[in-house]
Amino acid sequence: MTEKEKFLVLMSRHEISNKKQEEIIAKFEIKSVGDFLFGHDLEKILSKDEIEKMRNAYDKAELDGSIENMQKSGIQILTVLSENYPQKLVDLPDRPLILYCKGDLSLLERKGVAVVGTRMPSNYGRLTTEKFSKRLAESGLVIISGLCYGIDEIAHRGALDVSGKTIAVVGSGFNHIYPSTNTALSKEIAEKGLLMSEYPPSFVAKKYTFPHRNRIVAGLSDGVLIPEAGFKSGTVHTKEFALEYGKDMFAIPGNINNPKSELPNHLIKTAQAECVTQPEDIIEFYGLQAEAKKNRAFSLNFDEQAIMKLLENGEQDFDYLAKNTKIPVNILNSCLTTLEIRGLIRKLPAQTYALS
Amino acid sequence: MLSKVSSFGLVGIDGFAVQVETDIIGGLPRFDIVGLGDTAVKEAKDRVKSAIRNSGFDFPVKHYTINLAPADMKKEGPLYDLGIAIGILAATEQIVGSSYKDYIFLGELSLDGTIKKVRGVLPILISARKLGFKKVVLPYENVEEARFISGMEIYAFSKLKNVVDFFNGNNMTPVKPIQPKNFEDVCKTSANRLDFENVKGQAAAKRALEIAAAGGHNVLMIGPPGSGKSMLAKCFSGILPDLTFEEALEVTKIHSVAGELDLSKGIITERPFRTPHHTASTVSLTGGGNHSKPGEISLAHNGVLFLDEFPEYSRSLIETLRQPLEDGYITVARANQTITYPASFTLVASMNPCPCGNFGAKDRTCKCSPVQIRKYLSKISGPIMDRIDIQVEVDNISYKELNGAEKEESSAEIKKRVDKARKVQLERFKNSKNYSNAKMSVPQMKKFCPLSEECQRLMEQAFTSLKLSARAHDRILKVARTIADLEGEENILPQHIAEAISYRGLDRKYWNV
Repeated sequence: MTEKEKFLVLMSRHEISNKKQEEIIAKFEIKSVGDFLFGHDLEKILSKDEIEKMRNAYDKAELDGSIENMQKSGIQILTVLSENYPQKLVDLPDRPLILYCKGDLSLLERKGVAVVGTRMPSNYGRLTTEKFSKRLAESGLVIISGLCYGIDEIAHRGALDVSGKTIAVVGSGFNHIYPSTNTALSKEIAEKGLLMSEYPPSFVAKKYTFPHRNRIVAGLSDGVLIPEAGFKSGTVHTKEFALEYGKDMFAIPGNINNPKSELPNHLIKTAQAECVTQPEDIIEFYGLQAEAKKNRAFSLNFDEQAIMKLLENGEQDFDYLAKNTKIPVNILNSCLTTLEIRGLIRKLPAQTYALS
Repeated sequence: MLSKVSSFGLVGIDGFAVQVETDIIGGLPRFDIVGLGDTAVKEAKDRVKSAIRNSGFDFPVKHYTINLAPADMKKEGPLYDLGIAIGILAATEQIVGSSYKDYIFLGELSLDGTIKKVRGVLPILISARKLGFKKVVLPYENVEEARFISGMEIYAFSKLKNVVDFFNGNNMTPVKPIQPKNFEDVCKTSANRLDFENVKGQAAAKRALEIAAAGGHNVLMIGPPGSGKSMLAKCFSGILPDLTFEEALEVTKIHSVAGELDLSKGIITERPFRTPHHTASTVSLTGGGNHSKPGEISLAHNGVLFLDEFPEYSRSLIETLRQPLEDGYITVARANQTITYPASFTLVASMNPCPCGNFGAKDRTCKCSPVQIRKYLSKISGPIMDRIDIQVEVDNISYKELNGAEKEESSAEIKKRVDKARKVQLERFKNSKNYSNAKMSVPQMKKFCPLSEECQRLMEQAFTSLKLSARAHDRILKVARTIADLEGEENILPQHIAEAISYRGLDRKYWNV
């Protein structure tokens, strides 16, 4: 790692703005971090306070040690100066100068679709997100998202479930994953996919970091899919970035009365996004081979067929199924579980079932 | 002169013999009661004095010493009043003969000589019979409670004067011991209860409750407000098997000690249904306290403890349920004594899926943040969840369903199936301590829940594809055993396992928000 890159690490610790970082990198040669930090060049760009803070906290041994520790624990540091910096991000106007990554870097070169949306999806949103993310991942697309609650989480899990590839861009350091309940998921993604952040591991998420990281999500992807999001959602930022960067937009139409479908419906109405109703729409858009639907090798008995038939009209609750199939409750319960184990249907909260 | 009269005290839900010794000596007038009595016992002297005078007897001005033996046991309450009065009357030779020595005296006295009801009559009588006592005098108000004790000669009086007349043979008409009653006859006049017939829809919840009743499983109902969780719970006690006489006596004993018994009926014929509020204190739930009374969980013994809005109860309160849920009794240790109360109940709990209650509901949207929902659900600790076999979701029903003409199954029909399944279990567990599938130990599960290869394959599939947690395994087996019993099958079949799995909603990942 060159001294210049080390200086980038130092700046990322102290939240120096990207603009200033770019300027420093462009203008100055850095022979030694220490000399540069205590020299006069820095004063032309950074404010007094910023320099003071950095100087006070600087300790050469500590900086070198922490970089070494990071590398030991499997964190790869990509900077704009290094060769493996993702091509997709190089030309972004507000590109991150440094990226902390854990996992498979080759995913950055592959075609990817960002799946982003609300933190509190409806049942419809849950189902469609899972369905899309699974099918897209199966066809070889990398699922990119932000590891938040709701759509993000479902998208990541969907990809992992089918042994597909996924990239999570987090708005915090790796040691302080937000939400903390997704820490386990973040580890799984680091193992099987790629986990990345522009913030150093000990950085605790702040309010601004979430919309900020959305530009990386948008930047890394070839297309952005929005299953469900409201007008006030953070997804609006991702959409803005994606349009600015000229990415493909996909939106799944939803119920017009559902506030969570506002954004995708609006995007479709104003022709800003492609209207997609099945995963194959996106897969074909990218000219990939849509894998033939898996042959269902299960033979269904009479009761199970009746249930499947009712569910074809959309999600139904237990009482409705009981009444319309006339299957005794105990048999119905066991049929539903068996169907679920086979992966044909999904159980949603409040005794509701739907085709998967 | 000295007299000795028998009475009884209470410790926990058992009686112990108390000897009321009265000694009258000359000297300055005094009235002392010794023998570790509480304030109610100390104040007996004023009640007894007035009661004796107002009943037309003499209370000579002398030095009285009353000793309640054994002197090292705490005596609580006014039930020694009658014994003390009889002791004084005997010591002053206003009662002739010594026939009173064969009797146990229980009762509180009012100033005019009326004998008033006391609590704990039934447990005292049961203990007295065990100790070989044959004859009892008790307040008339407690007479119904005593009718179910056979093999004892029990007399009930409402006035002190009548008691003395009885021993002196001054009665115009001979006094007869009370008539015993038959338990079965009382049971027939059971009160109106909420019936499942009145609950529209909710097929899944009803089925879950049926299984819970059949196997003695604890249930957790999850659903938005107004979905009928409380109503379902109230119907639940109606499908439980009838109380046997022994169980009824045990329940009555506890209620009698707590002073919660309906004295006009005397015995409890229906399984108790207790619903302590979520602001209840720990002591009110577990029992104990200054006047050591059984708590709500003991009052629910052999019945149902219904905790509505489960997460609203304080964490420590919920955690105190751990021991009773496991062992069927609760041991309360206090400064003065350690008491064990029976507390073998079926826990029926209900909760909303989130603070606003609408998470997952069809017709309303939830306004809670994911963090709030997770926090809310995590209020119920893992160990407690471990003890709840069945988790079932309940959702609002539509107006159409509410007013549908469809006839719902009545509680009586469901109860028939439950009774049948219980019979199978009684046969299965006849040589062991437990009597229900829910209480099976690990070796018993090995013995009674063998799984065919097909079942095992299903279990394995379920664990991988539905991502069940490990703790669900045993719960599923137990519930599957009960389902098999309900169907009258000897072996657990795949469909039983599949149904049992459907009652593990909270173990499932989809609940993750």
